[in-house]
Amino acid sequence: MAVNDRLVTQKNKNGLQTTNEMQLTKKDFPWWMVAIGLLIVITFLLIRIKPDFKDAFNIIRAGMSVTISTTLIAFTIATMLGLFIGLGRVSESIFWRNASTIYVEIIRGIPLLVLIFFIALVLIPGLTNLLSALGTVLIDVGMGSFGVKLAAIENKSISMNVRAIISLAITYAAFSAEVFRAGIQSIDKGQMEAARSQGMSRWQAMRYVILPQAIRNILPALGNDLISMLKDSSLVSILAVRDITQVARLYAGHSFKFAQAYSILCVLYLTLTLVLSLCMKVIERKLGNERK
Amino acid sequence: MSENNRPMIEMENLSKSFGTLEAVHGVSLKVYPKQVLVIIGPSGSGKSTLLRTMNWLEQPSEGEVYVDGKSLSENQHHINDIRSNIGMVFQNFNLYGHLTVTENITLALRIVKKMKKEEAKKIAMRQLMKVGIADKADRYPSELSGGQQQRVAIARALAMEPKVMLFDEPTSALDPEMIKEVLDVMQLLVKEGMTMVIVTHEMGFAKAAADEVIFMDMGKIVERAAPEEFFEHPSCERTKQFLSQILKH
Repeated sequence: MAVNDRLVTQKNKNGLQTTNEMQLTKKDFPWWMVAIGLLIVITFLLIRIKPDFKDAFNIIRAGMSVTISTTLIAFTIATMLGLFIGLGRVSESIFWRNASTIYVEIIRGIPLLVLIFFIALVLIPGLTNLLSALGTVLIDVGMGSFGVKLAAIENKSISMNVRAIISLAITYAAFSAEVFRAGIQSIDKGQMEAARSQGMSRWQAMRYVILPQAIRNILPALGNDLISMLKDSSLVSILAVRDITQVARLYAGHSFKFAQAYSILCVLYLTLTLVLSLCMKVIERKLGNERK
Repeated sequence: MSENNRPMIEMENLSKSFGTLEAVHGVSLKVYPKQVLVIIGPSGSGKSTLLRTMNWLEQPSEGEVYVDGKSLSENQHHINDIRSNIGMVFQNFNLYGHLTVTENITLALRIVKKMKKEEAKKIAMRQLMKVGIADKADRYPSELSGGQQQRVAIARALAMEPKVMLFDEPTSALDPEMIKEVLDVMQLLVKEGMTMVIVTHEMGFAKAAADEVIFMDMGKIVERAAPEEFFEHPSCERTKQFLSQILKH
């Protein structure tokens, strides 16, 4: 209603139809952020004044470093792997194109939770068995020094934390591969032609002309991936990795303080994602200014 | 003597199809050093495709292209070397949007010609002076007008010291008042004796600058002649019809 009033007054003042109707998104004060901020502040106040909240917070807080490090390490690996697979998607070679498409389609077709189980409990044990078997073979053919090292690899020598990181990285690599592919394809093909016409190889053109422009375009999408990965990192609690979700679950389980444990858990995730999305906004604004 | 008589670009019975569409059909031509060849024709006549086969941006379906005596199909592994000797200017400029004007020019110098940064910068400045926009050296392409962008694109191509320059409708995407500044730069190159192949709709420029004019229609060369003869006494009916339509206004 208020918006309508403003449109009408504008029309009357100018006698012209200079309305903001064409402007699809209105820039208004971020009340939503204030509301969420308030929610976070209230929770932290509760933690300060109520001992049961304080206890819960102090215990759950211990999982923070695992959650953050798992997310950051997995995201870094996923982005590098995703760039590689994304380049495969736009490769000139029919083999690499299909290989990377198979990867992306398989990963996208399986729920994350199931993938975490599969990678951590089937794929990685399978690979370690394979490697140690290979080591035994190497010892037999006389390449002892290297063989002994391989043969010593045991399934249990790879911790659940590492498996969690590998699972998240493998999964999110498929998502970021699609982001990279879309980013590369969003660049006008004249850019590649201009670079090639100057004598650059396809790879040089990709490296110096296409990718710098593509990455600038996809930063917001990559940021979204980082935020979803932070949230999805809660799934690694099923591997008994002691992230904030797992710690909160354990605490709630034996203390029966479900309300305290899970509301603190919610607010912790909310704080992290809010901080990340604010960082993204700052980066986006910076890039936007630079381009102008 | 034989060195001078060798064509810079030679095409033998060249055809290019896209699926069932035959864009270029059996074209043969020669461009000698210092010669300016202008290709005109209605849209869809295959003139851009023909130009793009000259540096292998399009691979011909049949026939052969020789650049400076080298067969392109036999030298596919050296195509990057060959291309670095062929400058190309595009209709949509295709400047690298993330780089400044100077960086646009120095990029290929540095990674293709392995030049030092300072040396490449000097060359960039010299070329920018030549096309008359040295004052925009640190701007980004998006801050420049179309005419300025196209002049940067020409400077970028010239910096590689090409033996031949290809122009693919260099003024077609420009506002009318900016066409002249680009044509002036091209005229300058003609005076300097640059070997050039130009696809264009600018008949005045063709008349003034060309050594030879080729008229293409339906993927074939319909007529070729010196510009005076071509514009004053075209021999083919199709050419007359095209010229009368284009020169009517």
